[in-house]
Amino acid sequence: MRSVTKLLLWSALTVSLKAQITLGPTLNTFEVLAASTVTNSGPTVINGNLGTSPGGAITGFTGFGAGGPGIVNGTIHAADGVALQAQNELTAAFNAAAGAASTGIKNGDIGGQTIPPGVYTASSSLGITGTVTLDAQGNPNAQFIFQIGTALTTATSSIVFLINGAQASNVFWQVGSSATLGTSSAFAGNILAQASISLGTSALIQGRALARTGAVTLLSNLGTAPGVTGGLPPPPATPAPSSLILISTALACAGIYQSRERLLKMFRG
Amino acid sequence: MKALTALALLVCYRPTLQGMVKQWWTDEDMSHGFAVPFVILWIVWRERGRWQAIEAQPTAWGFALLVAAAGLQTAGGLGVGLFAGSVAFLFSVAGAILCLGGFVWLRALALPLLLGLFMLPKLAIVYNQATLPLQLFASRLAAAILTSGGIGVIREGNILDVRGHRVEVAEACSGIRYLLSLGFFAVVFGYLSDAKAWMRLVLLAAAVPLAIVGNALRVAAAAWRPSLDSGTAHTISGWFIFLLCLPALLGVRQLLNNIHTRYGA
Repeated sequence: MRSVTKLLLWSALTVSLKAQITLGPTLNTFEVLAASTVTNSGPTVINGNLGTSPGGAITGFTGFGAGGPGIVNGTIHAADGVALQAQNELTAAFNAAAGAASTGIKNGDIGGQTIPPGVYTASSSLGITGTVTLDAQGNPNAQFIFQIGTALTTATSSIVFLINGAQASNVFWQVGSSATLGTSSAFAGNILAQASISLGTSALIQGRALARTGAVTLLSNLGTAPGVTGGLPPPPATPAPSSLILISTALACAGIYQSRERLLKMFRG
Repeated sequence: MKALTALALLVCYRPTLQGMVKQWWTDEDMSHGFAVPFVILWIVWRERGRWQAIEAQPTAWGFALLVAAAGLQTAGGLGVGLFAGSVAFLFSVAGAILCLGGFVWLRALALPLLLGLFMLPKLAIVYNQATLPLQLFASRLAAAILTSGGIGVIREGNILDVRGHRVEVAEACSGIRYLLSLGFFAVVFGYLSDAKAWMRLVLLAAAVPLAIVGNALRVAAAAWRPSLDSGTAHTISGWFIFLLCLPALLGVRQLLNNIHTRYGA
C-alpha cells in the first residue's frame, strides 16, 4: 500500500513538473534495470545498482549466480522489492517523458547536429552516426527529452557529447521499442526503453539503461549512473605536462639546433 | 610612430590582453601563451634588417581592418567572448602594419602574425568538439600499443585497465597540449631550418600524427607502469616522450630535404 501511495505521489509530481523529468529515488540508484533478463559477456563494469523485475535472470557478473567477468559496483537486485519499486518508478518516468509537450521534431539520423535543450519527437526511429552535441547553453538544469516512436540505434564509435553544462542525468531517451548502442560508442543520458536495450562491444554509457518489458544485453561495457559513486575509486587521470613546459623544452631544442655548429666547435676545442 | 602605435594597441586591448594572460595562467592547456609573444618579438627583431629595408607603402586598407577589428572587439566586450576580442587584437596588429608599411610589410611580418594564432584563447565550441574524440582516440591507440607489446589491456571507453591498474584518459590527457606545443615548434623549426614554404606546411602537418602517437605512448606508459601514472615520474615521462617527438620532426625535415634534393632541384 505504501509503495502504491509513493508511486501515485511520484507520478503526480513528475506530471506536474511538465517537461522537467525526474527519476524516482529508487530508480535513481540503478545503472541497469530490465524486466526479464540482464545478460553480460566480457569485463563489463557497472557503477550503480543492477536489477531485474519481474524476471530474475542475471548472468555474467562476479559474485552472482554462476559468476562471470562483469563487475557491479553497487547492489544486484533480482526480482526483489527494490527492483519492483524501480520498475514502478520507471513506468512513471517513461509516461512523464512520453507526455511532455514537444518543442521540436527530430527524425532520422541526428549525427552531426548540435541540439539545444527541449523536448524532441521522432515519429519512428532515431539514429546517431558520428557525434551529436547536446548544448545546455550554460544551464546545468537544462533537460533534453527525446520521444522516439520506435527504435534508437547508434552507429559504431558514435558519440553523444554534452557541452556548456549539459548533464547526463538531464538527458532522457524515451524509446517506443528497443535501443541498440553501437560498438565503441560513447553514449550519454538515461535510456527509458519500452522493450529491450543492447550495448555493443566496448560501448560506454554515462547514464542509465532502463528497460520496461524486455532484456538488457551487455558486452564489455562501462556504465556509470550519474551521481552514483561506484565501489572502485576513480582512476587517476594522466594529464600531459603543461604546454609551457613542453614549448620551453621545444624552444630550447630549437636553440640548440640553431647553434649546433657553434656547439660542435666548442666540443672540438 | 611604431612605438606609439604599439602602445595605443596595448591600451585599447588591455582588457582582452588581461583575459588572455589570465587564461594562460590558469589553464595548463594554454600556458604556452606566455612563450609565444617572446618568440614573436625575437623573430621580429631577428628579421629587423629585412623588413626595415623594405620601403613602406602605407595603405588605407589598414584603417578598414582596424575598424573591422574595433567592431569585433566591441562585440567581444558585449558578450561574444574573449576569443572574439583576441582575434580582433590580431586583426588590429595586421591593420596597424598595413597603415604603417602596407602589404609589403604585412608579407614580411606574416610569420610572427601567424604565430600569434597560438596565443588565442580556447574557442570553447571547437575545443569541446575536439577533446572527446581525441580522448577516445588516445585511449584506443594506447590500448593498441599495449596489446601490440604483448601487454593485456581492457579498454572501457576512456579508461584503460592493465592487470587491475586503471587510468583515465581525461580532457587534460587528450593530447591537445602535445598538439599545440609540437605545432608551434614545427612552425618555429620550419622557420629556423630555412625550409621551403611547402616543407613548412608538411612539417606542421607531420606534427599532428606525431603529437597524437606521442601522447598515446605517454598514456600507454602510465597504464603499463603504476609508478608512472601520477606525480613527478608522470610529469617527467610525459616530458621525455615529448622530447622524443622533436628528433622525429627533425627526421621528417631531413626526409623532406632529401626529397627536395632528389626531385626538386
